[in-house]
Amino acid sequence: MSAAALPPLEPLFNINGKRTRSVFASCPDAGFKDEEKSARLRLAVKIHDEYRDFKELPSALLSQQAHVGPSRPKEQRKLITAGASADAETSRMIAKIDNTPVSQPSTFMSSSKLSQALTLHKTTRTVKPTYHPPWKLARVISGHLGWVRSVAVEPGNKWFATGAGDRVIKIWDLASGELKLSLTGHISTVRGLAVSPRHPYLFSCGEDKMVKCWDLEANKVIRHYHGHLSGVYSLSLHPTLDVLVTAGRDASARVWDMRTKAQIHVLSGHTGTVADVKCQESDPQVITGSMDSTVRLWDLAAGKTMVTLTHHKKSIRSLAIHPTEYSFASGSAGGNNIKKWKCPEGTFVFNFSGHNAIINTLSVNAEGVFFSGGDNGTLTLWDYNTGTPFQNMDDIPQPGSLEAEAGVFCSTFDMTGTRLITGGADKTIKVYAEQSQ
Amino acid sequence: MAALAALLPKPVYETVISDDEEDIVRPSAPAQQQIISTRIPVPPYGQRRGWKPTRPEDYGDGGAYPECHVAQYPLEMGRKKASSGNTLALQVDSEGNIRYDAIAHQGQRPDKLIQSQFKDLVPLLHRKDLEDSDRLMERPSEEEVQATADKTRAALEKLVNGKIKAAQPKNVPDSQGKTSFIRYTPGQQNGDGLKQRIIKMSEIVEDPLEPPRFKHKKIPRGPPSPPPPVLRSPPRKATAAEQKEWMIPPCISNWKNNKGFTIPLDKRLAADGRGLQDVHINDNFAKFSEALFVADRHAREEVRQRSLMQQKLMQKEKASKEENLRMLAQRAREERGGVAPKPTAQGQAAMKASLANYGSDSDSDSDSNDSAEDEDARRIRDEMRQEKRREREREMRMNNMGAEQRAKQLARQQNRDISEKVALGLAKPTLSKESMLDSRLFNQESLSGSFADDDTYNLYDKPLFHGSTAAAAIYKARGNISEGNDDSFGGGTDEGIGKALDNDRFGLGQVRVGFEGANEQEVREGPVQFEKDTGDVFGLNQFLDEAKTGKKRGLDTVAGGSRKRQQLEKVSERE
Repeated sequence: MSAAALPPLEPLFNINGKRTRSVFASCPDAGFKDEEKSARLRLAVKIHDEYRDFKELPSALLSQQAHVGPSRPKEQRKLITAGASADAETSRMIAKIDNTPVSQPSTFMSSSKLSQALTLHKTTRTVKPTYHPPWKLARVISGHLGWVRSVAVEPGNKWFATGAGDRVIKIWDLASGELKLSLTGHISTVRGLAVSPRHPYLFSCGEDKMVKCWDLEANKVIRHYHGHLSGVYSLSLHPTLDVLVTAGRDASARVWDMRTKAQIHVLSGHTGTVADVKCQESDPQVITGSMDSTVRLWDLAAGKTMVTLTHHKKSIRSLAIHPTEYSFASGSAGGNNIKKWKCPEGTFVFNFSGHNAIINTLSVNAEGVFFSGGDNGTLTLWDYNTGTPFQNMDDIPQPGSLEAEAGVFCSTFDMTGTRLITGGADKTIKVYAEQSQ
Repeated sequence: MAALAALLPKPVYETVISDDEEDIVRPSAPAQQQIISTRIPVPPYGQRRGWKPTRPEDYGDGGAYPECHVAQYPLEMGRKKASSGNTLALQVDSEGNIRYDAIAHQGQRPDKLIQSQFKDLVPLLHRKDLEDSDRLMERPSEEEVQATADKTRAALEKLVNGKIKAAQPKNVPDSQGKTSFIRYTPGQQNGDGLKQRIIKMSEIVEDPLEPPRFKHKKIPRGPPSPPPPVLRSPPRKATAAEQKEWMIPPCISNWKNNKGFTIPLDKRLAADGRGLQDVHINDNFAKFSEALFVADRHAREEVRQRSLMQQKLMQKEKASKEENLRMLAQRAREERGGVAPKPTAQGQAAMKASLANYGSDSDSDSDSNDSAEDEDARRIRDEMRQEKRREREREMRMNNMGAEQRAKQLARQQNRDISEKVALGLAKPTLSKESMLDSRLFNQESLSGSFADDDTYNLYDKPLFHGSTAAAAIYKARGNISEGNDDSFGGGTDEGIGKALDNDRFGLGQVRVGFEGANEQEVREGPVQFEKDTGDVFGLNQFLDEAKTGKKRGLDTVAGGSRKRQQLEKVSERE
């Protein structure tokens, strides 16, 4: 009975042997290891037999590969292939056997193995995006009688100004959303607004070719900057100098001396409408985005182009400069339409991919929340450092407006970065707020 | 060659010419390295066949060689600038890789950054040619920012100052103008006159508002900087589906077709967009029409009811009125008969009976008490009725007459019907066809005459009725003796006239009686003589006198009164 009950010995032996091996594999022993020499031989034979033709890329491919294709410096090779220890040993062994010359990196490119290039793409150094709380529509302000085309927040963060297609600039209380003032004077759509942090001035520009300087103590126009040949689409103040840059449909950006109203420079070079212009305190001090689908970085002192960025496929309608990071973003229509650039030389950083619309406006705050508003009313909030979208929203047009009137034209974060103010085609101003937990 | 050189004697004079020249010009000369000259070898005159002076040194300090038939540029004169060629020298970097982007940098400012390579398309994190420090995006420090700001400010201020100065008027001239006095001593002392002169020199005061005398010519702009290399893929060709999506159908109007194309009927129908929109009629229309229908029916019903009610009321009223009349008539009759009103039931019955033979029994009823005058009046009435009836009948007949009959009647009324006269033989209708034609128009001499001459004006030089026509017989001017009618007025003589007066044309015999009262007239001798009548012939004076007295004309009592009265009189006369 007992003999009949016993299991067969063979599988038991096998199981036992496996277990023993697994137990002792962790503490290696000379006797337990394979003989290195034989292993090398075996590998060498195998490499020779099977991979002889693939040790090096074909010459045609190699010549292509030499100059292009991102690949990694040598010391990172370990990082890429870091896996199990046995694999590491094998690779080391391969490296010893393999006497293929490693090509020296040139200034352009080097390290020319396609496999490496391919693995590199998969294992890029991924930066984890930082968490941002979601944003929510907090307030809808209806008061304008036309498309709200421009918005600017006062440096003191008490109020903000909007300019619209009804030719009126309205000043609203930021906290309560109440109308404080309406400024009339433009005779066409107000396309750009800026409040000076160093003067009691509000600057506005419009499709009537006019650039106006409003004195906020008297609420009157005190200066006109005359010179644009067509509608002025954008306006920006220099943060440190008393200089004002406007850009418009005459394919030029103009630099004005704020006090004397003299035109210092005409930044010409674009072949299409300049849709947006931004200023910053260090070079490049002026950045323009144009309908000829190029971005130009300008040397303000000389009035000349430093860099022309031709990566975009369609017209660029908006730019955003990060307040603390030395970079900016540009947005256009189509796929891969938002691009981040590094200053000062305009190096391409990455694409913000996933917002397939005509991008009308971009905004970024100091916390790294990046906002893009589309012409079809789609809103996306991104992490600026990694380019990952963390929230997609749709603009809800106010009741009574057409379906096509769900578009966002302008946006800005307030000075604290906790409110996002947008102006849209449904003639309303919408205030979005971060949802704090 | 060496053997030959060895054979030849050594030259007496060593030429001071370098070996190069010997190579070129005299290849047979032995290669001698004794003297190395830095002079450029120029073949001597007469031996320059095949030699091309190319470098400036070939010319020495002189000009071109006329015997060399090649283009020569002594002192580089006339040579085109060679630097403006389009070809670029091939450049390599330190690794020996060809710098293909040199063409993108060509013509650009040296400080300009030009992105032209694939690496510029690679995201920053994937670039291997950058260090980690290059990937940092730190804002510049305060000092750097300040330095940038200062530098920029300086540059901009310079520009602004220049612009402001340009805008301001530069040299406002003094109102008086600067004057300076110059003592002028003429060079040629001609002896006499002035030795020295003092000259006052002052600038002409310029009008600051004077327009510029010289036209400013605008310098055309220089060529733009070369376009940057484009780092995007070219736009894709539209697929068939996309093209179809973008196809905008041509506008077809139902009202205009200037080119006169033939438009298919379906397109034409589609043009008005009838099929595109589905007609949605508001429900309220249906409600409205329903309400209208209901209201209409209601109103009709009401009207019908009202008219019915009115009819009933009318009937009732009529009945009551008749009753009342009957009552009145009854009472009147009873009163006339001197009979006291009967008790009601009997009275009613009597009334009914009387009503039954209201018209016919009146005379029988009133026979006893009707007077003779009543009888007369009745007769007159009857006659009048008779007359009226006859008249009516006649009118009816007249109305019923046919058109022919009526025409005849009309003609008879106007005395134009001669049918009765024909029957009586008083008138005779023309029978022959010929006589229907007017014979007067025949054989007119004027017509029978020739039409020959246009200038002859003989239309009216003949009497209209002339010759042996009926007209001559009908009309014969008798009074015109002067016209040659000698028979008229008895030839104009006394006895002739007397004869004519006594002429008994119709055979009536001598007048016995004559006109009444004509006997008393004295026999007239000679023509009738008139004398003026001063009396009131037409009674005008009398009329005017009457008018002056103010008597009314219409008030004469002779003119008859009413028609009825006249009739009565007439009837009475007849009786």
